[in-house]
Amino acid sequence: MEALINYLLNTALNLHAPEWVILLIRHLLVATILFLVVPFQMLLLTYFERRVIARMQDRVGPNRVGWEGVLQPIADAVKMFTKEDIVPAAADKGVHLLATGVVVVPTMFMLSVLPWGPGMTPVDFETSLLFFFAISSVSAIGLVMGGWSGNNKFSLLGAMRAVAQMISYEMPAILSILALVLMTGSMSISKIVEAQGGLIANLTDLPKVPDLGLGWLLFTPVGFLAFVCFFISALAEGERTPFDIPEADSEIVAGYMTEYSGMKFGMFYLAQYVLNFALCAITATLFFGGWQGPGVSQLSAMGANNQLFSILAGALGVVYLLLKTYFFFFTMVWIRGAFPRLRIDQLMGLGWKFLLPLTLVNIFSAAIWAACIHWGPEQGLAFLSAFGPWKRWAIAFLSTLVINLLAATLLVRINSSAESSMPKLVEDQKFGAVTLP
Amino acid sequence: MEIVVQILFMLISALIIIAALMVVSVKNIIHAALWLFTSFFAVGALYLLLEAEFVAVIQVLVYVGAVSILVLFAIMLTRHVTGEGQNQLYSRWWLGLILALTLFGAIIVPTVFKQKWNIPAPTVVTEPQNAEPVVAGVADIGKAFMREYLLPFEVASLVLLVALIGAIVVVFEERTERRVILTLAESWALRQKESAKVDQ
Repeated sequence: MEALINYLLNTALNLHAPEWVILLIRHLLVATILFLVVPFQMLLLTYFERRVIARMQDRVGPNRVGWEGVLQPIADAVKMFTKEDIVPAAADKGVHLLATGVVVVPTMFMLSVLPWGPGMTPVDFETSLLFFFAISSVSAIGLVMGGWSGNNKFSLLGAMRAVAQMISYEMPAILSILALVLMTGSMSISKIVEAQGGLIANLTDLPKVPDLGLGWLLFTPVGFLAFVCFFISALAEGERTPFDIPEADSEIVAGYMTEYSGMKFGMFYLAQYVLNFALCAITATLFFGGWQGPGVSQLSAMGANNQLFSILAGALGVVYLLLKTYFFFFTMVWIRGAFPRLRIDQLMGLGWKFLLPLTLVNIFSAAIWAACIHWGPEQGLAFLSAFGPWKRWAIAFLSTLVINLLAATLLVRINSSAESSMPKLVEDQKFGAVTLP
Repeated sequence: MEIVVQILFMLISALIIIAALMVVSVKNIIHAALWLFTSFFAVGALYLLLEAEFVAVIQVLVYVGAVSILVLFAIMLTRHVTGEGQNQLYSRWWLGLILALTLFGAIIVPTVFKQKWNIPAPTVVTEPQNAEPVVAGVADIGKAFMREYLLPFEVASLVLLVALIGAIVVVFEERTERRVILTLAESWALRQKESAKVDQ
């Protein structure tokens, strides 16, 4: 892409543009494309969610505007734009306005490090995985700002709940990702995707496996457990049902969004859908191979001779990534249709007593995996290099499988027995509350 | 490229300084906290300008993502949050001013002027094209933690562990003293049980 801009500016137009101008134009172009992608995804996702959830609840859903209601999101957007923007009289007006921006902007940043196809990462650097989660935690400030500035108890309560939930589920999310970093030895999202070529076992672990783009990290015991923990945490971070406590409309109106109307509310809505899209995309990228799929690596290998094939490879990669992402978004909607909301103590219990220990055990077994596959005489494990790669892979697979299964069953048993052995409740006369004997 | 970097540096440092000044000068304490996060974020941008990506990301993750949230929680859970009506200045503010100026004049000014600064002139290193830039990456930082700086690292983790256990001890409630607020359904079930007892 830089070569193309360089050609256009310096050779065709003869402008003698320096290097940084070309870089700037390149990044501006990519940013423009991303900014265009985001609202369209949001429009599509709202329509998709409404139709799917309607189907699950035996309703029809929006089907009036356009063919089968596909233009409904555009009608909604027009409604949002033309609505009156009401700011409460007692609100802190500057913070009230700023909160929308602080919530939306980080979610846009999250999309900038995703590898959309082979060699199609907008910004690629060594610690992009960490950046993804760091920047997503910034929007928590925006939630607090929005909740506080409205001068409404409901929105403050909603913001408190949202932030408490985000903080407690960020830990299992990042810890389960850490297992992947140990396995692949890299913190760059694009490198983690590239490591997932192969078939069942990936190419870095077993170099002789045929490359069908199916060496997903999901197919290892460590990756599978990390996927389960991460997806639950992603549901909680995206405030999806069953973790939609922050905006529980039957309890606290709409949480931190209570005092927003018109397009400001639309911005919160946008941020939420973009966040959900980004979380689905990162799940697909880290555990389900991202753009990896049958044929992509073959096409990009052919692209060395013909530029057309590498463009085809890129397009196929984007299609694979979007298909996987939509599958996860569908799963989110499915879960919303199937489960009721958790109570706040159940939410905290699940996060701290079940997911956190499980991810810690998972990091342990990821270390065992990395040791079995990559270590040798330098680390004092000379006997491992005596085995062939297949044998090492089998040892790693079996040992981590045993550890993870044991840990998961133990934790399920501990957590379920703790619930059944809870002491019976006795009513307190004075407060109308109940104490445990 | 150099000029762009310098202009960016100027802009970011101006933002840091202005935000830091606003932290101590605005009256509303929530606004002060928000300015503090602006300054944290701008410091992260400064690290990014130095090509220390890992430090920048950690700055955002720890300071903007975690510390700031804790600050906001602490402010919101205390009463009289805004502090709008309070006077920013203490009645004897001139005393503090004189003290600060004397200390500055007595210690910092002589040090700055008497010290012989042996700062070498910045040498422009012309790297060959395609050479890997020498930037402390994640792997280097990890190796440094596990080899040269193992003792400080372990001591820091021990301190954190102590803080963790301390926090648990502070907030831990005895099981017997724990209070549970019943949901409507649960209290109704309890009523039913009690009325059944009375009937017997």
